[in-house]
Amino acid sequence: MEKMSRVTTALSSNTISGRTMFCHLDAPANAISVCRDATQVVVAGRNIFKIYGLEEEQFVEKLNLRVGRKPSLNFSCADVMWHQMEENLLATAATNGAVVTWNLGKPSRNKQDQLFTEHKRTVNKVCFHPTEVYMLLSGSQDGFMKCFDLRKKESVSTFSGQSESVRDVQFSMKDYFTFAASFENGNVQLWDIRRPDRYERMFTAHTGPVFCCDWHPDDRGWLATGGRDKMVKVWDMTTNRAKEIYCVQTIASVARVKWRPERKFHLATCSMMVDHNIYVWDIRRPFIPFATFEEHKDVTTGIVWRHQHDPHFLLSGSKDSTLYQHMFKDATRPVDKANPEGLCFGLLGDLAFAAKESLISSDANRKPYPGGDRRYPIFFFKKPDPTEQFAHVSSALSVFETDLDSNRMDWFVKTAQLYLLSGKPFAELCDHNAKVAQELKRPQVSTTWTMLRIMFSDPANLTTPGPNHNLSKLGTLPLMNSFSMKEMGSGMGTESRLERSKGDSRQDNIHLEPGNSHISNNNEENEETEGSDGQAEYMFGDAELDDDDLYSVEHDNQTEEQEYALPQEAFQLRHEIMDNPSAPEHLQQDKADSPHVSGNEAEVTCLTPIESFSLISISQPLYSPHLPASFFCPIVREMLSYYAEQGDVQMAVSVLIVLGDRIRKEIDDLTQEHWYMSYIDLLQRFELWNVSNEVIKLSTCSAITCLNQTSTTLHINCSNCKRPMSNKGWICDRCHQCASVCAVCHHVVKGLFVWCQGCSHGGHLEHMMNWLKSSAHCPAGCGHLCEYT
Amino acid sequence: MFVARSIAADHKDLIHDVSYDFHGRRMATCSSDQSVKVWDKSENGEWHCTASWKTHSGSVWRVTWAHPEFGQVLASCSFDRTAAVWEEIVGESNDKQRGLSHWIKRTTLVDSRTSVTDVKFAPKHMGLMLTTCSADGVVRIYEAPDVMNLSQWSLQHEISCKLSCSCISWNPSSSRAHPPMFAVGSDDSNVTYGGKVQIYEYNENTRKYGKAETLMTVTDAVHDIAFAPNLGRSFHVLAIATKDVRIFKLVPMRKESTSTGPTKFEVQTVAQFDNHNSQVWRVSWNITSTLLASSGDDGCVRLWKANYMDNWKCTGILKGDGSPLTGSSGQPTAMSTVVGSSVQTSQNALNGMSAGRYFFPPLDPPRAGTRYGHLLPPSSLIEHCDAEPIQPQPQALPHRLSSRSLLPLPEAEGQ
Repeated sequence: MEKMSRVTTALSSNTISGRTMFCHLDAPANAISVCRDATQVVVAGRNIFKIYGLEEEQFVEKLNLRVGRKPSLNFSCADVMWHQMEENLLATAATNGAVVTWNLGKPSRNKQDQLFTEHKRTVNKVCFHPTEVYMLLSGSQDGFMKCFDLRKKESVSTFSGQSESVRDVQFSMKDYFTFAASFENGNVQLWDIRRPDRYERMFTAHTGPVFCCDWHPDDRGWLATGGRDKMVKVWDMTTNRAKEIYCVQTIASVARVKWRPERKFHLATCSMMVDHNIYVWDIRRPFIPFATFEEHKDVTTGIVWRHQHDPHFLLSGSKDSTLYQHMFKDATRPVDKANPEGLCFGLLGDLAFAAKESLISSDANRKPYPGGDRRYPIFFFKKPDPTEQFAHVSSALSVFETDLDSNRMDWFVKTAQLYLLSGKPFAELCDHNAKVAQELKRPQVSTTWTMLRIMFSDPANLTTPGPNHNLSKLGTLPLMNSFSMKEMGSGMGTESRLERSKGDSRQDNIHLEPGNSHISNNNEENEETEGSDGQAEYMFGDAELDDDDLYSVEHDNQTEEQEYALPQEAFQLRHEIMDNPSAPEHLQQDKADSPHVSGNEAEVTCLTPIESFSLISISQPLYSPHLPASFFCPIVREMLSYYAEQGDVQMAVSVLIVLGDRIRKEIDDLTQEHWYMSYIDLLQRFELWNVSNEVIKLSTCSAITCLNQTSTTLHINCSNCKRPMSNKGWICDRCHQCASVCAVCHHVVKGLFVWCQGCSHGGHLEHMMNWLKSSAHCPAGCGHLCEYT
Repeated sequence: MFVARSIAADHKDLIHDVSYDFHGRRMATCSSDQSVKVWDKSENGEWHCTASWKTHSGSVWRVTWAHPEFGQVLASCSFDRTAAVWEEIVGESNDKQRGLSHWIKRTTLVDSRTSVTDVKFAPKHMGLMLTTCSADGVVRIYEAPDVMNLSQWSLQHEISCKLSCSCISWNPSSSRAHPPMFAVGSDDSNVTYGGKVQIYEYNENTRKYGKAETLMTVTDAVHDIAFAPNLGRSFHVLAIATKDVRIFKLVPMRKESTSTGPTKFEVQTVAQFDNHNSQVWRVSWNITSTLLASSGDDGCVRLWKANYMDNWKCTGILKGDGSPLTGSSGQPTAMSTVVGSSVQTSQNALNGMSAGRYFFPPLDPPRAGTRYGHLLPPSSLIEHCDAEPIQPQPQALPHRLSSRSLLPLPEAEGQ
């Protein structure tokens, strides 16, 4: 069957003639019908009844059947049908209940032939028998179907469907005596024309009215029905019970359905309202129209294939008063515009990808065998028309996951969690963060932190810095530099452990530091390299190894001036006591002075302490005058913008917070706010609520800090009497019980209290978690299935 | 390294869209079979379908998640000319025990008279807003005035774009310096119309959206469009899927405070790749906007990444079914010529000039080493854009190659 039709297609494809064209009608059309040889089409409507000739380039009006001065309701057609055997014979169904036949062979202007006025209400449908010349069937709103013999004046039989109005009647193509009728209550009935007393078979096809039905032109058992429930269903009538074999869901109620000639699985539909398009469906792929004709501007009322063996032309009439001939190759194909792929990046860098299976299957790239099917000689092989292929397709969904070790967004989460943003002196924060970055293998970020520390650790805005003092401070720069780099490069493990173990106590030490250094300075002037030991005693045994080293070294290098500097330091460094000398690192780089390059290299090459000492002696005299920290601000600002623009807003915000006032004024508030917002949004995506809160808290933008001040009201119910607690505190007004008793251990909860919003019972977070591991019910015994999210 | 995990989606027709939720733990798929499925990731990383329901009476083109602040909310749009908003209902413990959840329709937006081709929630800071675009070229912006009531949406704006719209993307920037802005792509195939991507911006004074820019260089049908996550940038980056992959940079020009017109943008074409050799259907940014994924009719996902010079390069190809890629589809293209420009460092000299031919040039000296760790083709799944398979060069980079696990792509490292 398929093969046969393909051959016909091949043949007829050579003879396709005509084009998509239309003509204006005088009035909206209700129905159209085409004569057997596809040369003429009749258009019928409430105010129109005309015959048009179908020519190559245009429609030509042939005949107007509305004649006579008196407008007759008989002309007001709900349906029209051209006889497929007798080319002069037409029948119309009038809205006043009349069934009229027309004989085009009549010599007079009025072609009206017979008039049957037996129906009480509008006749919805007329249908000629496909082979019998004189047999006409009608279906009416009054619920009756009548069969007429055109040689007689009256109907020969009346069929009572007894299921409300008849919407459509269709003779079977193959079974001589059978016709189908569809009803407004959703039923479809099968009748034998010889037995008007009772239907052969009835089944409920749709919910709501069945507006149309159509027998398959080739397959005797298939009946397509369309209804207000927006469905088209195909029924196999050969079995005892009508079996639904295909179902097409359309987007609007289905007014007409017509099988496409020569295409076993195709049918065309149009809608009764809302939707003006004509769809051609492949019932095997019922979700997406195979083709769409979108020309009409109003509801399409009639569709008919131009020729019963030509699948390429479809005629349609519409309420927009146009008659169209659609050429199939001009149809839009929704599936061409339909996206065959979906792609989305997940939060953690995994990638979800759905694609049409044929696109991704490995043999998609394989060239089809040139000869095609071997059963046929190569010259007989006709490739099926690709535009007519519309087989069932499906998509494959897969997720590309980054494997756990190298989970690509881990660095973000870890960094967010490990960074310290406050609570320690600036230099330590920088060091810590540099180490975090280093451990996560982000050397550039790490270096940035280190450089920040160097740039800003000096209380650079000293108002009256003595020249010598400055010199000495600056002199330590390369040392610091090399030291910290060394620490990061090699001694990471021990140092970080130390750092952590010191924890809070470290802060205390820091406060003592100026004094310490003062003392150490005075007392241990002659110490060369072991300054840290001496210091350690003063620092209550804390084995501080890194920064204190520097201090001691620094003091060693200059002994006399220290006393001038100290008082100033003591007052000025209230906040950042641990601050270290500022380092004109960038200045060096910018100027590219040769002596200073050594300091730069120190970063990379990890000088040993001894080397760095020697470095000091070289570079010390060469230091330029003191540079305030503000000198670096433009550079830092640029750097922050750079990070932000590279997608690392984390770095921008972290530096912003750590630097605090040092940089804040340099960056306009909008930008800061933008960074904060972006970072907080990211943190919340990763559900890093604590970090996000910390950032909000530490931010200096008013717009950000107020984020924490919204939705801070809690409404609580007493866990005993279930009534809202009005008073302050945890004693209920009404039952005078303490509401915050843990339902598990029955003690008053202090600290974190978690409770179910459904039954108000709760308790210690830990207890509740343990309880819910074993039971879904409330520990208080109230029987509630508690929900904690 | 990417591991392909195939999921039996069991959709009865094409899947048109996949969408992760805000936290990356849930996924929604939509299909021509008129259904939407929601997938949840279990502890062990498996994806389970927890809901599947019929959403529309036509192909469902797109599905998208709302910010979780508004609840578990999905929006879908369809060929049936409607968009719908869905909310997950908590409760029904027996449902939950079976690992299923229940979604109910909160509203249907029926204003369009043609297929609704895309639906997107506006960035969270604008409130609960939903945008649709349709084949008749109309963009509609709805707002739920009460975020607790998802069944009431009022049509706030109706913007006619003249051309049939296929995709829409909001500029995610939350900065107050950036007025709300979205880009619309058109799949109109008539190249003579030109300018298939239009950018609209909200004007505070007129309280309307006005066209700020048309990307005149995009003349072919646009299938997808995506603003990169902004993350504190001052400019905007836009990826476009048309017959090739394109990346545009929109730099807002400094405008005088007195002017009331739309922001003027300096539009730069940052990259343009035709490696797919076919229509490109989708583009998607990773969360830090350092990586762009695109998929085309060749059935491959290609990953793009920029170096610090803003040179974009292909950093990996993923084949949809995990099978090895045939050489023909991975040929190098013109863009590989930029490789040489950034290679000037001492590190590179160390690696020898041969390194320049490979796909990851040493982008910056301190990090080149770590990048080379990624050079190995980690599995048959991933191939590099270079035509010749990349061979490890033990003599040049022995310690580096062994030092790290074989990510196809390094994380952003602040670059």
